[in-house]
Amino acid sequence: MISQVFILSSKGDYLIYKDFRGEAGKDSISVFYEMVTALSGDQPPVVMTHKDLHFIHVKQGGLYWVASTKVNPSPFTIIEFLNRLAALTKDYCGSLSEKSVRMNFALIYELLDEMVDYGYIQTTSTDILKNFIQTEAVSSKPFSLFDLSNVGLFGAETQQSKVAPSAAATRPIMSGRGEQGGKNEIFVDVIERLSVVIGSNGMLMKADIEGEIRVKCYLPSCSEMRIGLNEEFSIGKSQLRGYGAAVHVDECSFHQAVKLDEFDSFRILKVCPSQGEQTVMQYQLCDNLPCAPPFRLFPTLERDYGNRLLIYLKLRCDLPPKSSALNVSITVPVPKGSLSLSQELSSPDQSAELQPKNKAILWEIPRFPGGAQLSALFKVEVPGLSSASLLEVGPVSMSFELPKYTCTGLQIRFLRLTPTQPGLSQRWVRYVTHSDSYTIRI
Amino acid sequence: MTDSKYFTTTKKGEIFELKAELNSDKKEKKKEAVKKVIASMTVGKDVSALFPDVVNCMQTDNLELKKLVYLYLMNYAKSQPDMAIMAVNTFVKDCEDPNPLIRALAVRTMGCIRVDKITEYLCEPLRKCLKDEDPYVRKTAAVCVAKLHDINAQLVEDQGFLDTLKDLISDSNPMVVANAVAALSEIAESHPNSNLLDLNPQTINKLLTALNECTEWGQIFILDCLANYTPRDDRESQSICERVTPRLSHANSAVVLSAVKVLMKFMEMLPKDLDYYGTLLKKLAPPLVTLLSAEPELQYVALRNINLIVQKRPEILKHEMKVFFVKYNDPIYVKLEKLDIMIRLASQANIAQVLAELKEYATEVDVDFVRKAVRAIGRCAIKVEQSAERCVSTLLDLIQTKVNYVVQEAIVVIKDIFRKYPNKYESVIATLCENLDSLDEPEARAAMIWIVGEYAERIDNADELLESFLEGFHDESTQVQLQLLTAIVKLFLKKPTETQELVQQVLSLATQDSDNPDLRDRGYIYWRLLSTDPVAAKEVVLAEKPLISEETDLIEPTLLEELICHIGTLASVYHKPPSAFVEGSRGVQHKRLPARAGSGESTDSPDVSQSVGGATEAAPTVIPSQGDLLGDLLNLDLAPPAAGPTVPPSMQLGAMDLLGGGLDSLLGGDIGGSPAMGAGLGSTPAVMPTSLGAPPVVGGGLGDLFDLGGSVGMPAGAYVPPKSVWLPAMKAKGLEISGTFARRSGVIQMELSLTNKAMSVMTDFAIQFNRNSFGLAPAGPLQVLTPLSPNQTIEVSLPLSTSGPVMKMEPLNNLQVAVKNNIDVFYFSCQYPISLLFVEDGKMERQVFLATWKDIPNDNEAQFVIKDCHLNSDAASSKLQGSNIFTIAKRTVDNQDMLYQSIKLTNGIWVLTELRVQGGNPSYTLSVKCRASEVSQFVYQCYELVLKN
Repeated sequence: MISQVFILSSKGDYLIYKDFRGEAGKDSISVFYEMVTALSGDQPPVVMTHKDLHFIHVKQGGLYWVASTKVNPSPFTIIEFLNRLAALTKDYCGSLSEKSVRMNFALIYELLDEMVDYGYIQTTSTDILKNFIQTEAVSSKPFSLFDLSNVGLFGAETQQSKVAPSAAATRPIMSGRGEQGGKNEIFVDVIERLSVVIGSNGMLMKADIEGEIRVKCYLPSCSEMRIGLNEEFSIGKSQLRGYGAAVHVDECSFHQAVKLDEFDSFRILKVCPSQGEQTVMQYQLCDNLPCAPPFRLFPTLERDYGNRLLIYLKLRCDLPPKSSALNVSITVPVPKGSLSLSQELSSPDQSAELQPKNKAILWEIPRFPGGAQLSALFKVEVPGLSSASLLEVGPVSMSFELPKYTCTGLQIRFLRLTPTQPGLSQRWVRYVTHSDSYTIRI
Repeated sequence: MTDSKYFTTTKKGEIFELKAELNSDKKEKKKEAVKKVIASMTVGKDVSALFPDVVNCMQTDNLELKKLVYLYLMNYAKSQPDMAIMAVNTFVKDCEDPNPLIRALAVRTMGCIRVDKITEYLCEPLRKCLKDEDPYVRKTAAVCVAKLHDINAQLVEDQGFLDTLKDLISDSNPMVVANAVAALSEIAESHPNSNLLDLNPQTINKLLTALNECTEWGQIFILDCLANYTPRDDRESQSICERVTPRLSHANSAVVLSAVKVLMKFMEMLPKDLDYYGTLLKKLAPPLVTLLSAEPELQYVALRNINLIVQKRPEILKHEMKVFFVKYNDPIYVKLEKLDIMIRLASQANIAQVLAELKEYATEVDVDFVRKAVRAIGRCAIKVEQSAERCVSTLLDLIQTKVNYVVQEAIVVIKDIFRKYPNKYESVIATLCENLDSLDEPEARAAMIWIVGEYAERIDNADELLESFLEGFHDESTQVQLQLLTAIVKLFLKKPTETQELVQQVLSLATQDSDNPDLRDRGYIYWRLLSTDPVAAKEVVLAEKPLISEETDLIEPTLLEELICHIGTLASVYHKPPSAFVEGSRGVQHKRLPARAGSGESTDSPDVSQSVGGATEAAPTVIPSQGDLLGDLLNLDLAPPAAGPTVPPSMQLGAMDLLGGGLDSLLGGDIGGSPAMGAGLGSTPAVMPTSLGAPPVVGGGLGDLFDLGGSVGMPAGAYVPPKSVWLPAMKAKGLEISGTFARRSGVIQMELSLTNKAMSVMTDFAIQFNRNSFGLAPAGPLQVLTPLSPNQTIEVSLPLSTSGPVMKMEPLNNLQVAVKNNIDVFYFSCQYPISLLFVEDGKMERQVFLATWKDIPNDNEAQFVIKDCHLNSDAASSKLQGSNIFTIAKRTVDNQDMLYQSIKLTNGIWVLTELRVQGGNPSYTLSVKCRASEVSQFVYQCYELVLKN
């Protein structure tokens, strides 16, 4: 049972404060802020206690979303709820920022009132909520269709392809009420997170993919949408269909609104998307990467005369030639006491620097086409270099984005709305793979 | 035009301006003004002065404005109770509005106004709303009952809202059901004995049906409620599990965890050889793994829970080791938790993989993580013997890095490895000694010194090494000083010739120059040992050391069981029981896992000795509160029993009953006074008879009057043995329970004296029986109305029914009892005289008696001798009649009286007896015939008890 909910700016200003049960004082806000700012990096921040009051919070959009409680509730419930609250705020206000929360405080109070009663969570579904909500959202920036100057989704350049304008997905869902002629758009994003560990012998030691299909819907009326996945999509270890290039995942879970009657035979998800953003399907794949790992590293370590350490890295991108990786950054830990770095990089748009605080070299590549190979030579000055210091080099870790690419091979075959609304609706399908845990051991 | 302008800084006349705007005629302006007021309220400004003006805006048909005004009211009504009354009329009116949104809004807001005066007005509207046609209104009203209960519990009970709330569990709308369940669960928590949420197979079925239909949040309420239910048997348990399992694939992790909790709990009841048990185990793994792909906050919470699950049932995740390998971008607190789980899951099958990982971790950047990784390698060595060698060589590699904290950590764990595998890896000592100088942490220094002392005979320069430590003896921490002292003494015992000077030096440092009593004492002990008997010293100091355990920091089993019942809650994150961090009575109830059905465990209660034929001492056996032995007792949720049909003792039977009570007390007093007590069932009276004379709490008041009247000529009542101590205070954290049993006018009573010998006040008493031979069960809650303060004794009389579940006990009259208070749950067992069960209509027709006597085979006849009884047959007969042993016929042959008597037990068993009384001979002969011959022995004991007292 939630006792209070409050939203704080990163500076600790009160944006929203709602007391549901009258059992804790308002000073708990400042208590919380003191505690959360005093946390050191290695303390688990999720659950904190002050006397008999427990705080559970998440940080989203640069804001603290906090719930306090005096009993023994489920932290999962509260974290899920706070995440939903943030998502709903985003749906209703268009974007998530201190400004948008401030501007729409009355709306958020109203939302909170319907979402929680006496600390019991009632609903977080936009479909239900829209029956109750009276206040209209105030958008921080009037939405303009021609505002394409922004960088596209996940850093993709907008000009290069049919990527939807990013601003399109950041407008409030309810603002269209007066001006019905607005956009009836629907966005379906397939997002995968890849984490990989490659051993020092080049063997793939561990790989998993966490994926989700996210729908962001601006359609005012609830019409059924059918999302067709690859027909050869299979779930679980035993259930293999056909030969060869089957798309396979280990585990799948679905939003409760998804109807699965055509899923088993046709791999079609049926859903009546409510307005706003929702994750209709989540899936995981462990250990069984259907494609080659996107990057391969060939490192050479050498002790130059004196106190100089030579690190020669050859990095190959094994994506298909048409794809490319963006914002690739590579972190190479170096021995402590490393003083300076000189580098030779293979093209001018790359950069590399020594970060003394993390004892690591950060090598950044803005764009890395599939099939290409880049190399870098780092010369690091390490006073008192010993053979034991060589052990401190590595493992190398990378982060990157692969737009228009899914590692599982999951594709959306079609997206159909019934009843069809000719010309009225625009449908967008976007794919992206992220990785911020791609480790290569040396 | 944006709302953010409301937050602009306050000017002087702001309140005044707002007042004017609030009283404006224009709706838009009013709305804007109320918004400004609320904005000020949020940032903490006091705008209570505007109360009347805002309340004036309440009567509007604009829903948005109304909501805003209500928001304001909720915040300030408490500080302005008198003015809040002004709003009441509008509330009451709104509760009848045709628009359900407004009805619900009004009832919701009224519940949030925590002002007593308002609650009175709330009752009528709430009653209507609970029966509203619109489910939205009903679900809001259901929550409102919980709100009202928090303000005025008595009012809620008086108004009968609880019953209405119970009815809502069967509502057609799942949302209403979910809220009703949530509200009832909360109310029930503050009344542990109220039996509000009467969970039975029917309600469970309703809940399971609603589970499939309601929102994800409603599902959580329902699953949490299900987790409190204890299924009757494994079949019911399985069928609930089957219906809960689909929730495991829900996208909301809170639903998943609540489902996991239900399954983990009910799995306890499934036999392990059942196919379904294996299936269920397999189904639990994927959802737990899925949780690890969530954001770090959820991951952390999930890992804390998985840590518990892995300790309870490692088999669930034994094949999933890889998912716990840390990721590069995991926050440190997630990494540390993963490491912990990795070690718990480490086994021979996966050790190679784990070690390779740990070795990588040991070269990472984060110091805490690296330390823990190094320790983990050591723990692997200790846990999986086959890997020990590889672990040691890995540790040596790490020592080569010369990274200070890695080296120190490695030395600490190598010490443990030496202890676990003596005489195996000592070859590495040389390497360790190289690093002596770099050790600056006490733990590592102490470990190194221990190694040097332990293997002094193999280290050539051990004396030099130890001497080097000795230089700064007084600057060392106590840990190091103690270790150094012991190490040097060991060294001396091994190489006495060269080290005499050293040992004298350390002994004098420890005994003369130290302020630390521990150190001084240890020094003196060694000194005396060495000076009096060096051989004995050798035996003591160089004694064989006990093995060290494989698993460290495991959670204690009882706590683990309780925590498993709290999976998915804060308790599972803190790894503390809720009572440790939740204030007040809420959530303090201890939860236990149910016992596995079908296994023999439940009946294996400690053997209470009861030898045949003799008046034995039925020493109350205190059952250890830990362990699974008790099966069924653990099963108890300590909710009060279902209110049985048993007649409350004093209310209906009127005078007769009072009379009975009075006489018993009189009798009890007499008996207690005579020192000849102690035969038969009652053990030596530990509690002095004074407590016996005390009237039972229920219905005893008037009995005292009859005591005074002293009706001497009346037939004697049933015999009541004196109270004996059933549960000594030592074994129950200060609670002493002594008691006895009585049968008064057909009502069986357990009379208890509860004494608080602890320092703190005890509250929240409840009692529950294990299944027993005659189905004895409490017919009402344990009536301890006031808290029991230290050194206070309270007398309680608990009416019992015989309609409880039956299970044959050994001995037959054994009763296992669980008593709960705010501190803990305690278990003990006691024995009741079987005369308790002799019913009033036990007089058999003569003809029937004869026929029955013949009918029962002679094998079932048992003979006993009652010695030293000086009553004549008539006196015996009337005395026995008091205990419902009825004489049907009397025959006299050769100066020998034969009494034929019949007894009927509560469960309908007839016992026929023949009592022979020889004039002048104090020994009686008793023949007992009964189809259930087990009871004969106990019937005989009753005769003896009754006749001799």
